[in-house]
Amino acid sequence: MKRFEAGAAAPALDEIREVPTLCPYCGVGCALAYGVDRAGTIHYARGRDGASNAGRLCVKGRYGFDYTSHPQRLTRPLVRRDAAYPRGPLSAFSRPGASGPRKPGGIVDYAEVLPHFREASWAEALDRVAAGLAGVRDRHGADAVAGFGSAKGSNEEAYLFQKFIRAVIGTNNVDHCTRLCHASSVYALMEGIGSGAVTNVVRDVENAEVAVIAGCNPTANHPVAATFIKQAAAAGTKLLAVNVRRPGLADYAQQYCQIRPGTDVAFYNAVMHVLIDEGLHDRAFVAERTEGFEALRAVVARYSPEAVAGITGVPADEIAGFARTLGRARSAMFFWGMGISQHVFGTDNARCLIALALLTGNIGRPGTGLHPLRGQNNVQGASDAGLIPMYYPGYQKVADATVRARFEGLWGVPLSPEPGLTTAEITHAALEGRIRALYCMGENPFLSDPDVNRVRESLSSLEFLAVQDIFLTETAEFADVVLPASSFMEKRGSYTNTDRRVQLGRPVREPPGEAREDWRIIAALARRLGHDWDYADEAAIFDELVAAAPLYANLSHERLGDNGRWYPCPSPESDGERLLFTERFPIGRGRFVPAELGEAPDLPDAEYPLVLNTGRQLEHWHTGVMTRRSLALDALAPEARVEVHPDDAERLGIADGDWTRLTSRRGSVQVQAKVTDDVALGTLFLPMHFREAAANLLTSPELDPYGKIPEFKICAVRLERLATPHGEIAQHNDTSDTA
Amino acid sequence: MGDVTLTIDDRTVTVPAGTSVWEAAARLGIDIPVLCHDPRLRPVGVCRVCAVDTGERTLPASCVREVQEGMQVRTDTDEVQAHRRVLTELLLADQPPVSRREATTGHDQLYALARRLGVGTIPWPDGAEGHPRGEDWSSPVIAVDHQACILCDRCVRACDEIQHNDVITRSGKGYATRIAFDLDAPMGESSCVSCGECVAVCPTGALTHRALPAAAAGEGSQP
Repeated sequence: MKRFEAGAAAPALDEIREVPTLCPYCGVGCALAYGVDRAGTIHYARGRDGASNAGRLCVKGRYGFDYTSHPQRLTRPLVRRDAAYPRGPLSAFSRPGASGPRKPGGIVDYAEVLPHFREASWAEALDRVAAGLAGVRDRHGADAVAGFGSAKGSNEEAYLFQKFIRAVIGTNNVDHCTRLCHASSVYALMEGIGSGAVTNVVRDVENAEVAVIAGCNPTANHPVAATFIKQAAAAGTKLLAVNVRRPGLADYAQQYCQIRPGTDVAFYNAVMHVLIDEGLHDRAFVAERTEGFEALRAVVARYSPEAVAGITGVPADEIAGFARTLGRARSAMFFWGMGISQHVFGTDNARCLIALALLTGNIGRPGTGLHPLRGQNNVQGASDAGLIPMYYPGYQKVADATVRARFEGLWGVPLSPEPGLTTAEITHAALEGRIRALYCMGENPFLSDPDVNRVRESLSSLEFLAVQDIFLTETAEFADVVLPASSFMEKRGSYTNTDRRVQLGRPVREPPGEAREDWRIIAALARRLGHDWDYADEAAIFDELVAAAPLYANLSHERLGDNGRWYPCPSPESDGERLLFTERFPIGRGRFVPAELGEAPDLPDAEYPLVLNTGRQLEHWHTGVMTRRSLALDALAPEARVEVHPDDAERLGIADGDWTRLTSRRGSVQVQAKVTDDVALGTLFLPMHFREAAANLLTSPELDPYGKIPEFKICAVRLERLATPHGEIAQHNDTSDTA
Repeated sequence: MGDVTLTIDDRTVTVPAGTSVWEAAARLGIDIPVLCHDPRLRPVGVCRVCAVDTGERTLPASCVREVQEGMQVRTDTDEVQAHRRVLTELLLADQPPVSRREATTGHDQLYALARRLGVGTIPWPDGAEGHPRGEDWSSPVIAVDHQACILCDRCVRACDEIQHNDVITRSGKGYATRIAFDLDAPMGESSCVSCGECVAVCPTGALTHRALPAAAAGEGSQP
């Protein structure tokens, strides 16, 4: 007879403690706990009952935590050897023309790159960085120096980094990857309602009668937020999806409009045309809380659904149906993503959505609001903390003398009155010799900025480059000094999610080797440059941030506790404001800013007949530095695929899985094809995460005039079938990665 | 809807109409064991481990039974305990000898219940002898051991009602009944997006995280 052995659970588990912290990936900001042993190895992630996730996680949060203990972590400072000059890419993969099958892991080849560096002490490395930055400043002026911070760092790190560039170096040339995702949305929001943050939290979608899902794909990019949207749809919320490429939520939507690339303004103007024409707009709201309606009416009058149908590819009656569903709803929320923002007319696209919300009176009540879905875990916080060239912490203008005087008092140094350059402008300026030194913390512009070939030249032309990161990134191949930094799991700090909720991340393990917490590195550099930066801990930095940015009033590390709080937070006891602008906007009345349909700079012709769209996929994260070093995520999605419509594939003689060459006016990559009708005829989609098929080799560096965001979504390309993948690169498959 | 007053183990409690007996007991701090229920999920009352005595002919499952005015509930009579014990023994009869859940994240609720009830010898035949229900190692992140599955449907409800991915269902009949992914595809080839919600709600070793090689202690991580 069988017996049940009543022994206790596996003894190894007795050693595991659970540390309550956050997920390091997207802007949803899921609360979780890691099960960690004494050696600091994370065994599992368990969802906690956080305000934005209610215990839920997605594949990245659940399984993507092991990058932090990857054997390729940087553990000692590195200094470029004299023989490795002139500065250029150190691995074959980062040189011009490299594209094709990947090496295992698809990441920087350490065996190739490391010999060009030697290990150095922290004292030497910090001396070199301080001398490198200060030397350029002294010879060429402070505006020849620039800094890239990161939206993956904490609020404290973002605050210290921008303070370092502004107060220690003396320039406002400090920016971060928000510039590449929602800069245009923020510009349009500041202009339209006077605040760049979301007006309402994702989970309020359950109170919305309609939710517009515009140019975003939450099931891949904000998966846990998507579960709440799907749940709302199951309970009766009508989803109206508008996108060039079919989003996962289209399966749950009442209506999905597949518009042609770059025609968002025409589509939304036509929707507004119908709303006004049929009297479905909210006259009371427009009269009491907005200005500029007549100007909007005059512009959208020219965009009848009949006129726009041919432009957008959406039939006139479907546009009218969309407008009627929206116009008759008692409440509607507007979610949008990179499909709206990453264009040379991204600001105009966002203006349309803001105008649509104002026109229908859908701001300031439960189940209404504007929600640009933030990408990284601290995009909101990094912007709030001032990692922006034209704003001090709390969106206070650099160009405003009163504000500047206040910050000069707070920081005890004179500050530059000139707004600085943005990320893409910095790489452009380096090519022209206007930027000569760059301090790059936790970013990988080599792969994340448009037009990789140009970025390569730009990084090569710098006089001095310091990279502070947890791995050798493609960008670090150009560095003079590489500083080994801390991962999310190795530090304390606050992070502000897409819902404006400020939450505390806690350390679960020690940094490996001699790697250090980022804030300590920044402070040590400041001290070397003669500034008395003596912070006791992260909480003290946060307190200074709160003093600098009234936006974060009433918050402190202690008050954030296990579950965080929303900002604005009206009192020390409050959980913060879930819903904003119930009575008025920060600029008083909301402003209609009419937009006219613009034209993308890189349009198809006979030679480049297809339109390439770029974006993210569920299992991966940005330039893959983290996720491609996660065994689970790499196993689930090991390679890049370019999505091709079945009819295009047939015409070009391409079958699913075939190798293809994708060529734009700027470059060429080799990648396998995935045949799917998620993409529209004449369009392709390539995820941005894979260096061996780097989407940004192809994209155009043109910028939106307001948000200075690059055109990542429309790029004319040619697609050809390849008999075999590139011979030279294929040989690299034979050598195994060092790891 | 008004309030309902009832008595549970001689203690009086008033709860809104529509509350389940299990929830009413929880409000009093009375812990009624349960396997198929999770407060985040719609209760279905399939495991019957939460059965209580309400003075009726049979023992209703407290997770689905709504409270009634004047109801007299006993949660720990000898009959209730014997009922739970037999059910637990039957569920354990064909379980694998070691719980994969206890070797990965802990919290195997079936094993914990067996310990709580002091189960030792199992006087029931092992249905798995000659008829194992199989394992599925096709996903790089989630291990499926059908033998440890008690068909409580928590994974099905979590996939449908929490994450809304609608991947998990059931296939087969009788003892061969198993959870299935899409139309009984291997999990790694199904439309599963690997969110792990099913693993989080599974009360046994049926759905567990595959330990990552870096974290694996060598035991129980691979087939």
